[in-house]
Amino acid sequence: MKAWRRVAAVARKDLLLEWRGRDAVLPAGSFGFAVLLVLGLVSGGGGEAAPSALWVSVLLAAVLAAGRGADREGEEGTREVLLLYPGSREDLFWGRWLALCVVLLVLAAGLWCAQVLLFDAPTRGAGVLILAALLATAGLGAAGTLLAALVAHVRAGPLLMPLLFLPATVPVLLAGVRLSETAASGAPAGPWWGVLVVFDLLFLLVGPVLFELVVEG
Amino acid sequence: MRPLDPVVTDALGRRFGAVVALRGVGLRVGEGTCLLLLGPNGSGKTTLLRVLATALRPTEGRAWVCGYDVVSEGHRVRELCAFLGTSPGVYAGLTGFENLCLAADLCGRPRRQVAELLGWAGLEQVAHRLVRTYSLGMRRRLALARVRLQEPRVLLLDEPFVGLDEEGTRLVGELVTGIKKQKGAVVLATHDRHRARAVCDAVAELESGTLLSSGTAGLAGAVSRG
Repeated sequence: MKAWRRVAAVARKDLLLEWRGRDAVLPAGSFGFAVLLVLGLVSGGGGEAAPSALWVSVLLAAVLAAGRGADREGEEGTREVLLLYPGSREDLFWGRWLALCVVLLVLAAGLWCAQVLLFDAPTRGAGVLILAALLATAGLGAAGTLLAALVAHVRAGPLLMPLLFLPATVPVLLAGVRLSETAASGAPAGPWWGVLVVFDLLFLLVGPVLFELVVEG
Repeated sequence: MRPLDPVVTDALGRRFGAVVALRGVGLRVGEGTCLLLLGPNGSGKTTLLRVLATALRPTEGRAWVCGYDVVSEGHRVRELCAFLGTSPGVYAGLTGFENLCLAADLCGRPRRQVAELLGWAGLEQVAHRLVRTYSLGMRRRLALARVRLQEPRVLLLDEPFVGLDEEGTRLVGELVTGIKKQKGAVVLATHDRHRARAVCDAVAELESGTLLSSGTAGLAGAVSRG
């Protein structure tokens, strides 16, 4: 059984359901925009607050988006069916991860546009920002996929998800903010690329293994 | 030594905290046999099926499907066994065709079987409609087609007749007969004894998680008592 076929099937399924229902992108995007708006009001809309506001809004939107895929499986009673198919459960992790990464990239792009408009933020250093967003998305996607599977069987899952996700992803927040600031100012990035890479490696290596254990129950 | 029969359990037990759902269940389902699982609500029928399907781990005893241990060799069990629970487990936001394509991709089966199976289930006219527009019976037929696509040696069915009309019931019978002919085994839990009687060869009765009786002799009696 080809793993790539299984991974592509799960990712395609998640993206099709999202495209037709828009039940992750719309609520998570709206929430992220609201956070951006509030932070803009609090900080007076100054350009120096823009990177922090952007990454906080991306992270909070990611919490909602990550939990949505697992919730959908629970509501439709399809989680067990998916887990009982033959083949490695790691393929399910990678399929979910891929779909979540696409959703997170769409959210990040939308929130970045909103941030530029609301904060009148500079758009220079876009290459650095895009690379940082890609690295952050890979790690956030892996963390989100793993933690959503972990809380899926818990009654207080929707409450537990941010409690686990936000502390675990603080390194992404810090690295994202610092890299955005240095991209705008042209200053050296320091160790922050390394922080993002280590975070990604950790969750991308450990995530599929733990996912298998978590869904095994 | 690996048991030869397709389904074997030995002193199988499952607890949910203080609640004992299964206790000391010893079963043997031979090749070409369909076992009818009977028992009142809460007797442990679904728990037994879910343990055999690897959806739940037993807390006591052991179980084997086609000779593979359901705990230590769960991945092998899942290659040979299909489970259809009370919920059809189909995606309402996908079409019938897309649901079966997903199943084909996940099971490593060719997608060309999908159209044929939709025809078998009588869903070819609605194949490209979203499943959320299907009735319960149509969803269950789609789930039957998905199970057939998996080509299992052991089939576990939990209340398979719910929501099905006569044609749907015939599909269940066809599915079960096909597996029996291939020297596989079926375990079917239901309260609908009369519809089940047509396809079952043996019966096991559970009560409060304990196996009261099992075998071929009591089938007619057990069915008539219902």
